[in-house]
Amino acid sequence: MELFLQRLADGLSQGSVYALMALGLVIIYRGTGHLNFAQGEMALFCTYVVYQCGEWGIPIGLALPIGMVVGFALGAVTEVALIRPVAKKSPFAVFIVTLGLFQFLNWLDGAIWRDQPLPNSGVGSVQQQFPSLFPSKDTDFITIFGADIKLQSVGVFVLVLALTGALFLLFNKTKLGLAMNAVASNAESAKLVGIRTNMVLMVSWGIATAIGALGGVVFAGINHNVNLTLMFTVFIYGSAAATLGGFDSPGGAVLGGLIIGVIENMAAGYADEWVGQQLKVGVAFVVIVVVLLVKPSGLFGTAKVERV
Amino acid sequence: MSLLRAQGLTAGYGPVTVLNAIDLEVNEGEIVVILGANGAGKTTTMRAVSGTIPRSGVVEFDGHDISRTSPDAIVRHGLAQVPQGRGTFPELSVEDNLRAGAITRRDGAGAVAADLQRWFEQFPRLAERRSQRAGSLSGGEQQMLAIARALMSRPKLLLCDEPSLGLAPLITKELFEVIERLNAQEGLSVLLVEQNANLAMHMASRVYLLETGRIVASGSAAELSADDTIRKAYLGF
Repeated sequence: MELFLQRLADGLSQGSVYALMALGLVIIYRGTGHLNFAQGEMALFCTYVVYQCGEWGIPIGLALPIGMVVGFALGAVTEVALIRPVAKKSPFAVFIVTLGLFQFLNWLDGAIWRDQPLPNSGVGSVQQQFPSLFPSKDTDFITIFGADIKLQSVGVFVLVLALTGALFLLFNKTKLGLAMNAVASNAESAKLVGIRTNMVLMVSWGIATAIGALGGVVFAGINHNVNLTLMFTVFIYGSAAATLGGFDSPGGAVLGGLIIGVIENMAAGYADEWVGQQLKVGVAFVVIVVVLLVKPSGLFGTAKVERV
Repeated sequence: MSLLRAQGLTAGYGPVTVLNAIDLEVNEGEIVVILGANGAGKTTTMRAVSGTIPRSGVVEFDGHDISRTSPDAIVRHGLAQVPQGRGTFPELSVEDNLRAGAITRRDGAGAVAADLQRWFEQFPRLAERRSQRAGSLSGGEQQMLAIARALMSRPKLLLCDEPSLGLAPLITKELFEVIERLNAQEGLSVLLVEQNANLAMHMASRVYLLETGRIVASGSAAELSADDTIRKAYLGF
């Protein structure tokens, strides 16, 4: 029982990171129908910025908002300068551009924050110490039903719930949210009611990347380090989470992330010799394939309803 | 006084020019109807006026030159378009569709809520379905929603692209009555595109006849009906 609770808590805090990644993917997908392959690396760049702030003596509590502002700017500029001009030509080109951005940012991180010999294997990676947002010493835990739950896990989980609540309010109670929903639903008509769709898309990319930055910082904090391969698996899990929850549903993305985090930890924990730490990523692929076969729109995604 | 004036308006799609230097005018308080067969360029005219396709020529609206203005900015000047095929937001609720229509307004939530109430009274079927997704409405209901949404922006001029398309005659009649009433009671100017000439002629202040991208005749409804050739060719009676 204790072991189960601990794995559940670990799963939920891991899943929170996936949820943040999935949220970023979903917000961009809703607006433009594009899957942003660079989401993880954009988040990593911001995480390195936060790391750099730490090097300059800025405490993490202040460095995080700085990182998120940088993320917002990075996302907004990417949309305006790269995605928008290319999207006019062909949606497939956007896919290539985000892949290119993925490579470029990873290279840029390596160039600025020192290189490593084998960027894709993680071998010899320069692992920079990274501070946690929450108390994370070995003694920082609370005991629930005999299980020791790390304060960090609780903190991360609460943070994600709070963010989800904030986004819910944004999407359902504000004009910006209404504009984002309208653009997601029918971009042509959005223009015809006077919505500045370009502005909405720019802001969507900004918000998505800022959320990604938060995810990167949280994940680096859990791992106590930042390195060039940090976000690779997170991106894959985040994609799985978005697929599971439904690519157009922010709430689904969060729930999908949490579910995948828990499944991953349970699978690695209970089916140790079968799945183990090495094959954990496979769990994400299984989830993606099963969801696409059984319910392609995801748990909370909207299957297109239209009467003609 | 002229509210909308287009001069030498030319537009098309890629290399194809559909609209050939047409001149068009809508005065304040008028209902102007553009008649024409399929492919005459009616919808293209609407799109060119509202700025949703590339165009050349001069378009003036309410004293502003909007020839180079983006569609969303044109809406903020007070020109709302009901696109052909309705163009509602299918995933949004009926109420959110209407709220989106009011998104450019700066006169406060109270005024928007009052208008929302007003259109729900005008179109009781929308009120019954206010929390339903727009995509699940019937064609007629969606057309009403599209018109109500456009009116939520409190436009000076309403562009209506074939509101009768795919609707039962009774519903079409009802819609046209609403448009006429708004015109009579509140001075809403309307530019309407129709294939259903009989219906549209009744309420038109003036009519333009469009043929392969050119205006071939214009005048009051009575003048055009009086012309035998025009009547036989376009009005079918």
